[in-house]
Amino acid sequence: MLVTWRYKPRKSLIQSFDPRAWIIFFLCYIACSVLFWDLRYLLVLFGMAMLVVFTSGIRFSEMRRAWLFIGGFVVFFSFLTFLTGRGGIELYTEEHLITRWEAGFTLLGWRPTLTVTAEKTMYAVSMLVRVFSLASMTILIPYSLNPAHYGIIFKGLGLPDKVAYGMDLTMRFIPSFGRDFMLTRDAQRARGYELEKLSGGLVAQVRKLAPLIVPVTIHAIVSSEDIIDAMDLRAFGVGPRTWLEELHYRTRDRLLIGFGVVMLLVSIALSLFGMGKFWVPQFLLQLAGAA
Amino acid sequence: MTVQPPVIIENLSFRYRSRSDFAIRDINLTVNEPQVVLIAGASGCGKTTLARCINGLIPRSYKGELTGKIYLQGQDIAGLPLARISQLVGTVLQDPERQILGSIVKNEVAFGLENLGLSRSEIHRRVDEALERLKIAHLRDRQTHYLSGGEKQKVALAGVLAMKPSILLLDEPLASLDPASAQEALQVIRDLANEGMTVLMVEHRVEDVLRIRPERVLFMKDGVIQYDGDPQHLVERVDYREVKLPAPMIMELAIKDAPPPPLNILPGVNGGGAPLVEFKDVAFGYDSGPEVLHGINLQIRRGDVIAVLGPNGAGKTTLVKHAIGLLKPKRGKVLINGQDTHQLSVAEIASTLGYVFQSPSHMLFAPTVYDELAFGPNNLKHPEEEIRKEVSEAIEIVNLQGYEQTPPLSMSFGQQKRVSIAAILAMRSRILVMDEPTAGQDYKNYMNFMNSILEMPGFEAILFITHDLDMAVIYANRVLLVNDGQVVADGKPAEVLADLERLRQCRLLPTSLLETNLKYFPKTQQFFRAEALTHVLASGN
Repeated sequence: MLVTWRYKPRKSLIQSFDPRAWIIFFLCYIACSVLFWDLRYLLVLFGMAMLVVFTSGIRFSEMRRAWLFIGGFVVFFSFLTFLTGRGGIELYTEEHLITRWEAGFTLLGWRPTLTVTAEKTMYAVSMLVRVFSLASMTILIPYSLNPAHYGIIFKGLGLPDKVAYGMDLTMRFIPSFGRDFMLTRDAQRARGYELEKLSGGLVAQVRKLAPLIVPVTIHAIVSSEDIIDAMDLRAFGVGPRTWLEELHYRTRDRLLIGFGVVMLLVSIALSLFGMGKFWVPQFLLQLAGAA
Repeated sequence: MTVQPPVIIENLSFRYRSRSDFAIRDINLTVNEPQVVLIAGASGCGKTTLARCINGLIPRSYKGELTGKIYLQGQDIAGLPLARISQLVGTVLQDPERQILGSIVKNEVAFGLENLGLSRSEIHRRVDEALERLKIAHLRDRQTHYLSGGEKQKVALAGVLAMKPSILLLDEPLASLDPASAQEALQVIRDLANEGMTVLMVEHRVEDVLRIRPERVLFMKDGVIQYDGDPQHLVERVDYREVKLPAPMIMELAIKDAPPPPLNILPGVNGGGAPLVEFKDVAFGYDSGPEVLHGINLQIRRGDVIAVLGPNGAGKTTLVKHAIGLLKPKRGKVLINGQDTHQLSVAEIASTLGYVFQSPSHMLFAPTVYDELAFGPNNLKHPEEEIRKEVSEAIEIVNLQGYEQTPPLSMSFGQQKRVSIAAILAMRSRILVMDEPTAGQDYKNYMNFMNSILEMPGFEAILFITHDLDMAVIYANRVLLVNDGQVVADGKPAEVLADLERLRQCRLLPTSLLETNLKYFPKTQQFFRAEALTHVLASGN
């Protein structure tokens, strides 16, 4: 059986809009963020994300796990980007060295070296802000959408009945998968299995994960078959379907959509004029010049 | 227009693609008028296969060789799409977890009606009607995954009833219900039949169904119908070891056989000594939610065989999960052999206390039954030679000899459940805790393995959660009644179960076995299973 995200009706900015309007705005927001690399532009988007987060009415304790997981992921990869400078090469052609650090030892003849350049630093910071803004906006959605509305949201966005209901199920698949994972972990721990004590090489470690991976995977497959049977047994797909839930656009929803679309058009125009490209502040370049 | 018989089945046979033998053979059945038809039999008798043929899942979802004809309301269903058949026959599956799709109760009940394209006002009307009918209108806006097992089953039934099928097919609908909920569901089913619905009910808990006076009973064995007639004459043809009959009926039959050997429970264990497990003022709530256990004080001692009874959602599973440290108390403490579970890992506790989960599908992973059973002992670092012995003994207890090299994932649900129990038995823990060990099992199998587990040497105490009052009557020497997160009674079965009023408050209903035992208790001074009681009484006279 599918479980849902921890939605609760709350008095908040995000929940004051029709969910379809919010999804359209969210899509515009994503498109805007990928158009820019200039930290100043990205900070504007970041500010918007924070506004939504702090008015969401969701307590941090409720979202803690999601934030730790996604936040940890974002910070880790941004730091990796900073260390290696990977991906940035497409944005800048020359680098200005700020400092260089060499390890006092060698590993098999290779001396670990860290070169800090103005461009690499800015690239990592811009990346962090951009991904963090997107993640913040995304994390809020499952907590703010009424699970009873999943299907009608997608139907309302123009998808056919079957696809819309499929999206409804998909939205609920992720928390269900999490629940199954926890149950399996508990069941195996009760058999003396200790995930913390995995040892050996990579292949051996993956093999030792089988007691978790196999039941969870099989369970996912079996339950998807059950879902199909259960849908068929209740006449799913015989003809056009009525959606019990109804959504109605109000003025504020239209305004939100309008705002999202205008924001996107302006962003496109700006980027066509060559604005919002990768930016390195003067003081960093000076710092590099002094080095 | 002539009225068509609701169900006609002619020469129906089916063989699953993966099997060499037929699951059902030459089934013929005509139901001429609305009534309750009980289809009984042990697992593997073909009753679920027959149900799948009627609701069209065979051959559409389950492939194989199908011959014969099925007509529902005069229509040959062979060429119909599943969605069309579902408008003729509404199906309620054994496990509501596998049936519920909606995230909110109201939407779940409306699902089929939405698919039929009815108007919103009609859907609202029918949803409310179905919820009222099952007395669950208060659940209307609740999220489905927060419901208890019994509530889920009623919601699943409401979702089917709302579609107003003319035939209702129920596949072991009582499995996850507490006795009072089961009785309520049965009464609704009886009323529906009285109002003109044809009800086909697959169930091995024959005793419960007989209470609503089914007009007709089919008894199946090895894929064929062995008895087809009224309930009164069932007793002449049915094997009392295979389906659960009312106690007086079993006594009438069993007196002709040799008395069953007496149960030697927890052999070699002397009671007393320091408590094995101790709950001290334990309180618990999930995350930031409300408290679900309040101030539990409890000791499990050597020699205890404890049945934990109580309504759906009373906190039974939450309570026993504390014993293995999967949950740690928010207040108070749980001690295992004097050690606080806060200081122990689950794996450390597992060597003393074996815990059998409700659902086997969350733990089975190994390529063979042997490997599955060896997993626990291996984790506990038992020597290789020892493990071989432990595994083979565990396999014998759950009656799965010959399946050592079979992949557990390819087995039936009932067999998987037995593998999951054996997997814990093989670990040779001193305390065994089982959450609903008999759910989804047929009567004959669970009676057999319960006998074997209780007679198995090595355990010092056993605790099991159950909805089946008779499990407590037959096997327990101590009964815990749990309600609203509290232990409301704790004592000998004869004391706790004699208070019928308190049982009712805990949504438990006296079974015929309990009633019979209470009746003769002044004479017997002990509870017996029906087969034994009849001989005890005969020898006493």
